[in-house]
Amino acid sequence: MPRSEALNRGMRLTALTADIRAEWRSGNRARLARVVIALLIVFAAATFVGSIMTGAADASLSNVVRWLLGASDADQILSVRDRIIILDIRLPRAVLGMLVGASLAVSGVVMQGLFRNPLADPGLVGVSSGASLGAVLLIVLGSAVFGPLFALFGFYALPVAAFIGGLVTTLLLYRIATRGGQTSVATLLLAGIALGALTGAFTGVLIFMADDKQLRDVTFWGLGSLAGANWTKIAAAAPIILLSLAVTPFLARGLNAITLGEAAAFHMGIPVQRMKNIAIVSVAAATGASVAVSGGIGFVGIVVPHLLRLVIGPDHRYLVPASALLGGTLLILADMIARTIASPAELPIGIVTAFIGAPFFLWILLRGRTTMGL
Amino acid sequence: MINVSNLSVRLGGRQVIHGISLEAAPGALTAIVGPNGCGKTTTLKAISGELPPESGSVSINGRNLKGLKPWELALKRGVLPQSTVISFPFTVREVVRLGLTAGATSDAKANDRIAADALEAVDLGGFAGRFYQELSGGEQQRVQLARVLCQISDPVADGEPRYLLLDEPVSSLDIRHQLTIMQLARKFCGRGGGVIAVMHDLNLTAMFADRMIMMKSGVIRASGAPGDVLTDETMEAVFGCRMQVSAMPAAGVPFVLPQTATL
Repeated sequence: MPRSEALNRGMRLTALTADIRAEWRSGNRARLARVVIALLIVFAAATFVGSIMTGAADASLSNVVRWLLGASDADQILSVRDRIIILDIRLPRAVLGMLVGASLAVSGVVMQGLFRNPLADPGLVGVSSGASLGAVLLIVLGSAVFGPLFALFGFYALPVAAFIGGLVTTLLLYRIATRGGQTSVATLLLAGIALGALTGAFTGVLIFMADDKQLRDVTFWGLGSLAGANWTKIAAAAPIILLSLAVTPFLARGLNAITLGEAAAFHMGIPVQRMKNIAIVSVAAATGASVAVSGGIGFVGIVVPHLLRLVIGPDHRYLVPASALLGGTLLILADMIARTIASPAELPIGIVTAFIGAPFFLWILLRGRTTMGL
Repeated sequence: MINVSNLSVRLGGRQVIHGISLEAAPGALTAIVGPNGCGKTTTLKAISGELPPESGSVSINGRNLKGLKPWELALKRGVLPQSTVISFPFTVREVVRLGLTAGATSDAKANDRIAADALEAVDLGGFAGRFYQELSGGEQQRVQLARVLCQISDPVADGEPRYLLLDEPVSSLDIRHQLTIMQLARKFCGRGGGVIAVMHDLNLTAMFADRMIMMKSGVIRASGAPGDVLTDETMEAVFGCRMQVSAMPAAGVPFVLPQTATL
């Protein structure tokens, strides 16, 4: 009886929403958060498939799937061109978009938790610029100066250089903005501007020294793009990004406690110093790896966590996975806009995220002035 | 028992606590009073383990703080700071349940009950669904106390007394809630736990404290029962404020009126 079953399901759904609403009124958003995460998984999967199906060229996804599943008439149904478009262009691009988006959003969450402020974002406070400097340094001075680094890390050299750049900036920032466990928001943002300008100036010097080929490589970091996505880049960035993402769920309780201040977190039994060290390294690693493969894509780390906090609240046990999902999904969507809006030409994705993110950021500022200690 | 012996603390290059010793017994409310900047809060921070002593030691139930991990300490004592600003939109329920970070049972029902009881105890029964940021200063202070009560829900655990360290717990409360919170602290002592509170209101302290420790310039100037500590002489010596200490005829609880003071 499909009809009564549908009715049944409908009633259960109504009961669930009623439960969630009642819990929300008593300040309990745990179940809401779990439902939102489930919806985000569906949304992410749909977007992922959708992005593989859309593009300037026509290519049939269903044929590719049948080919992958080993259909007997495989060679007739799939042209080499379709196979390349789907498997070597769109698929790596979607995978990279998911990875980078998740990494940017989670870095934002962790950094905001650590600095106890919703405005702290690796892109905004100069960590991304530091990471770019590391990457540009490697490209321009190259094997002459960093020969051993290449020898040691192979094609991981670029993400590692960006990681080191990001780590140094994060540590500096922390040192400057945090005194006795209290972070001054004004100092944080202003120090971020200064560090961004300083690393930008160094990058400028390097660009000045660069030859034509290096210049093309370097310019890419300014705008941010997923256009160069390929499996080699993914192989270089994915382990670092996945590793730092894997650490963050273990930081969730500590990040929750630290929203009350570092002293209060210690009182509640959190080993604060160790937790901070892990958080800083994982933010720098995730940001560095993302910057190395896709350049400076801004605002994902600030928009995504903020939106989610409005819906499911700031509990990091749910905020971290939800941000990873929504960050990846939104970056893939932004990339779809970037490559179709001026098709067949392509807009750098950094421009798209800035157009969406910057006004949103201003909106956050206007509505949250009183509660963010500004 | 919390034991502080010969404690000295240096803060930003300046020595602010000069070799003080004190004891806080379970079952007793110990109050630390003194003028602004005399080192009350610093002493409490050293007792909580937040500030390392320059010399001397602090022990809790016979164990030196140095040898205890943060989570072990969190099971022995809870700390209420002076004020807490949160820049994320937590609900009251979520803040209070942060207190369950250490030592929560895996029993969801028990955790719910502990959190609900804690809110009820600070007279914020219907506030679970409100946003912390939208509460008044006094209400926020009570939410934080409920959070601490979640952490140390039983005054005695595993046969050992546990402690509440409260830094000016009633500083921004109205008179009714000042009494509620002080009574709550007393009840905690009555059930076998210990309380150390930094206090400003001398009359409330005299009413509720078992022992009163009066500090000035990083040293202890007087300690003992409120009736022995709160005298005309110590008031003038410690606060630089000549005034008359009186006593309630029946209970013998001392009180001071600012009207009697001459500066």
